[in-house]
Amino acid sequence: MTLNLCVLTQNRIVWDSEVKEIILSTNSGQIGVLPNHAPIATAVDIDILKIRLNNQWLTMALMGGFARIGNNEITILVNDAEKNSDIDPQEAEQTLEIAEANLRKAEGKRQTIEANLALRRARTRVEALNTI
Amino acid sequence: MACSNLTSMWVSSKPSLSDSSSLSFRTVLRPLHTSSPPSRSSSVSPLQASLRELRDRIDSVKNTQKITEAMKLVAAAKVRRAQEAVVNGRPFSETLVEVLYNINEQLQTDDIDVPLTKIRPVKKVALVVVTGDRGLCGGFNNFIIKKAEARIKELKEIGVEYTVISVGKKGNSYFLRRPYIPVDKFLEAGNLPTAKEAQAVADDVFSLFISEEVDKVELLYTKFVSLVKSEPVIHTLLPLSPKGEICDLNGNCVDAAEDELFRLTTKEGKLTVERETFRTPTADFSPILQFEQDPVQILDALLPLYLNSQILRALQESLASELAARMSAMSSASDNASDLKKSLSMVYNRKRQAKITGEILEIVAGANAQV
Repeated sequence: MTLNLCVLTQNRIVWDSEVKEIILSTNSGQIGVLPNHAPIATAVDIDILKIRLNNQWLTMALMGGFARIGNNEITILVNDAEKNSDIDPQEAEQTLEIAEANLRKAEGKRQTIEANLALRRARTRVEALNTI
Repeated sequence: MACSNLTSMWVSSKPSLSDSSSLSFRTVLRPLHTSSPPSRSSSVSPLQASLRELRDRIDSVKNTQKITEAMKLVAAAKVRRAQEAVVNGRPFSETLVEVLYNINEQLQTDDIDVPLTKIRPVKKVALVVVTGDRGLCGGFNNFIIKKAEARIKELKEIGVEYTVISVGKKGNSYFLRRPYIPVDKFLEAGNLPTAKEAQAVADDVFSLFISEEVDKVELLYTKFVSLVKSEPVIHTLLPLSPKGEICDLNGNCVDAAEDELFRLTTKEGKLTVERETFRTPTADFSPILQFEQDPVQILDALLPLYLNSQILRALQESLASELAARMSAMSSASDNASDLKKSLSMVYNRKRQAKITGEILEIVAGANAQV
């Protein structure tokens, strides 16, 4: 029995095939999903998603969204998703530095909110590269 | 742009050129003749120089026509791509709408307090104006900018402050030249709007709303009605209604489950656009579905997704209308160019024949005088 995982963003389907297990980061912590999981609906944080296919782990950076798990079907809707093989390490590092600099420069509530979001995204992308 | 202006200028001077009297030819063409360098016409008679100029003009009109024809075909191909992008986004929005409906059903009695749905007394409004990047698309950019100006005037009359977020190079240059309109940010959508661009707009809008700098966000974009008609519309983006309805200014709300798709097809050999309304089937959730977090937190995560998808759809529709406008503008420019070429060719041939007749007459007169 395998899980069918569907990762959708607004303009494309990032992943649509069977997996053995996933580890998802939610607002209330990480959850691991194995086949025959109880049906749940959860919000997804800006963090990494680990996918296991036959003893091989694959990492994906998710930019926040929603996940629905039920009947061995997982549907994850996110703002954006990037496989770690698609991320350029240097570019990700640079984006992280720029985001950190912007956060330090941010003045006022509004710029801080924006800078925080950008920083979390940049950090997730760098983490996706570092985790195996 | 310059090309289409010139073509229309030539077309408007058509009646005077088609006049068969050779005298009028010379008077009209004299300005051209004076502009030609004297060295060229000293070796060649003035009549022949203007013949050459006519021929050059015919060639340049032919080239212009090739370019406008090519631009029309490119725009037609891009409309198809834009359509595919909308179709690709459907699985996402369908699932989103389903989940939104079901969560709302479960939360019917509860009081939802999600920041994005908070209705506050409106003191400041943010207008997101979506324009195109390039010109040569007829009245497309002008319509949306005029609509934006009209809305700004309305808001000023009510006494509500406003700020503008401009998306697209054309809008950017317009607002840059008018520093009296407060602009929050200039963004560019590029050739094909993706989730990244929609995210940039959404981030800006989100932070403006949440930090309570603005109390309402309105989205101005062009709705794609048909290949020859597009309508600039204003939709209220924020505050979102928890049911996911999108309301325009008059309060007409479109249910989130009703989705409209446009399709480029051919009817009787001509390209047309058909709009179809889909109603997403909202199946019941399995009743044992548990929410990992508080339903309010889940709604908190869903609504930004919904916001992003609305912005992306607006960007995609705007792009499709821009391409359709460019297609029809380039098609009429091509037609004008071929009409102009035809009339110029007629003028050229008449002049050529008049010249030959003149030479024959001279020879005959000369021969007669000798005799």
